[in-house]
Amino acid sequence: MIEKRLSVRGGRKLIEPATYAGVIIFLCLVPLFIKSPYYLHIFILVFIYIIASASLRTITISGQFPLAHAAFMGVGGYTSAVLAKELGWSLFLTIPLGALMAMGIGILIGYPFARLRSLYYALGSLFFGIGMVQVFLVFNKWTCAYQGLTGMPPLFASVSKVPYYYFFLGLTLLCLLALHRFEFCRIGTSLKAINQSYMAASSVGINEAWYRILAVGVGCFFVGLAGATYAHYNLALSYTSFDMLATLWIVLYVLIGGIDSFAGPIIGTAILVLLPEFARELKAFVPYVSAGMLLIVVFVMPKGLVSLPGLIKSRLSERKRGKRIAHVSGN
Amino acid sequence: MVLAVITVINALVMSSMYILVALGFAFLFSIMGTLNFAHGVIYMVSGYICYQFAVGYGLNQWVSLLLSVIIVGAFGLFLEKYCFRPFFGDLNRTIVVCIAIILILETTVNITVGTQVRSLPAFVPGVLRAGIVSISAEKLITFIIGGVLLAAIIWFIRNTKAGQQMQAISQNLKGAVLQGISIHRISALACVLACGLAAVAGCLMGAILSLSPFMGGHMLLKALELVILGGIGSIGGIFFAGLLIGTLDATLPLFISGAASEAVALGVIVAVLLFRPQGLFGLEVEM
Repeated sequence: MIEKRLSVRGGRKLIEPATYAGVIIFLCLVPLFIKSPYYLHIFILVFIYIIASASLRTITISGQFPLAHAAFMGVGGYTSAVLAKELGWSLFLTIPLGALMAMGIGILIGYPFARLRSLYYALGSLFFGIGMVQVFLVFNKWTCAYQGLTGMPPLFASVSKVPYYYFFLGLTLLCLLALHRFEFCRIGTSLKAINQSYMAASSVGINEAWYRILAVGVGCFFVGLAGATYAHYNLALSYTSFDMLATLWIVLYVLIGGIDSFAGPIIGTAILVLLPEFARELKAFVPYVSAGMLLIVVFVMPKGLVSLPGLIKSRLSERKRGKRIAHVSGN
Repeated sequence: MVLAVITVINALVMSSMYILVALGFAFLFSIMGTLNFAHGVIYMVSGYICYQFAVGYGLNQWVSLLLSVIIVGAFGLFLEKYCFRPFFGDLNRTIVVCIAIILILETTVNITVGTQVRSLPAFVPGVLRAGIVSISAEKLITFIIGGVLLAAIIWFIRNTKAGQQMQAISQNLKGAVLQGISIHRISALACVLACGLAAVAGCLMGAILSLSPFMGGHMLLKALELVILGGIGSIGGIFFAGLLIGTLDATLPLFISGAASEAVALGVIVAVLLFRPQGLFGLEVEM
């Protein structure tokens, strides 16, 4: 890339952490201004789906593109809800169990799936995800999948959504911290190596299959956690929240935000969930707004919304200097 | 005994339905390598267009089908130029564009026509009986048309110049370009044919099952299953894959519940994918 990134001025280093701190402080103060439970509910959904999309992106680092993510969310949700409702176990036990169950199933299928290359892995996981939803329906006696599962104990015994808001804000920040550490430590670097060239990585001693299964396990753990906490927040589970369309939406959040950067899924989820809410007056025309957003991003910003500041900067500097900068479009 | 015969007929009919729907999808996937997720909505929209001509304007059924095929085929031209060509080879962005198209078309149908379920009047009314078993003439016609179209597509790919050019493109893109094959024209032709096939499927199935704005999703899934099982690069594989899936879907619900039979069918597909990723009849692929 011929853009100038050579000199990092001193003040620049503070911009990023300052932005993050500012956003977090803003989010902490939101319930003081917004009292409507509906808007708090939307924020909580954004937090939950941020965990889901960030964990999907973590699996994508290793080169695999799973299309079964919402099904694992359902695994976590149904496991925790059914255990808490039927056996009466404490939530401190069932929620981690739900996440571990999702991780276990992910590892179980990750083992045979690790041998498949990109497209076949994607299609295989697509079918597995749909099959998982059918399995929820088969166990209808416990999951009440057809009519909707209710009756599970709530996270907090409060009617107001404010404790839930702070709980999910804190949970999301913790999960994002964990995923960020995972991606930028040695394990994450090995995963990126496998993605770029599995032969070179194997020649350095990186056990490809082991790392791929690890990536899937970690990703599925966090999305199972998201599903389990969602179950005890929403107090009603319907199998349609975990079908192929839900998975495709999570994938969309990641792709629109930008699959190459860590902040991508966060921005993508926020924009794609909040945009239809702002356009709510249009009622039946709301999907047009979402579709328009998708089309704009896919045609104008191939690398997702996170690339927007970079695009604007390079266009402005083009005009300033009057020369054309060649855009080397990478993958 | 009667149950066995009825089940066999059911299996054949379901297989032909799935093969008919999957033909257009498989065509585009094998030739162009594009996963056309919008196949389901195109199939759905063509059913509604046929309904509009047949019931709204009172034209003949078959004329409505033809008009629907022409209109949807023209839409295929537009689809190829603006939606598939810019993202050739990039699965991520193809998925995004296809979901955008799905949203737009589904919402348009929801707004203009409404969500209540309608049914196309039968193309060939009546029921055929042979002894104790009976089959609606509608399903028989679908079966016949499905078989004829499958054979026609295979003949087209093997024997016509355009078909052979498509084979060349799917085997080696750069080599085909070097030979002077116009990629854009061939891929436009492929997309028009694929959408036309989806239109035929949509109109015929609209008469057997009913029309609803959401009928595309389930059929897209079946098309995907058939294509993966049959194999990439092979249209004839659709035939055997369709027979297998149709048989499974017709026989399993007799023994286990509906959801469990879907799970088993998907399990079979996943198992095949694990041990033979290129499908039953696909070209060898490096793992």
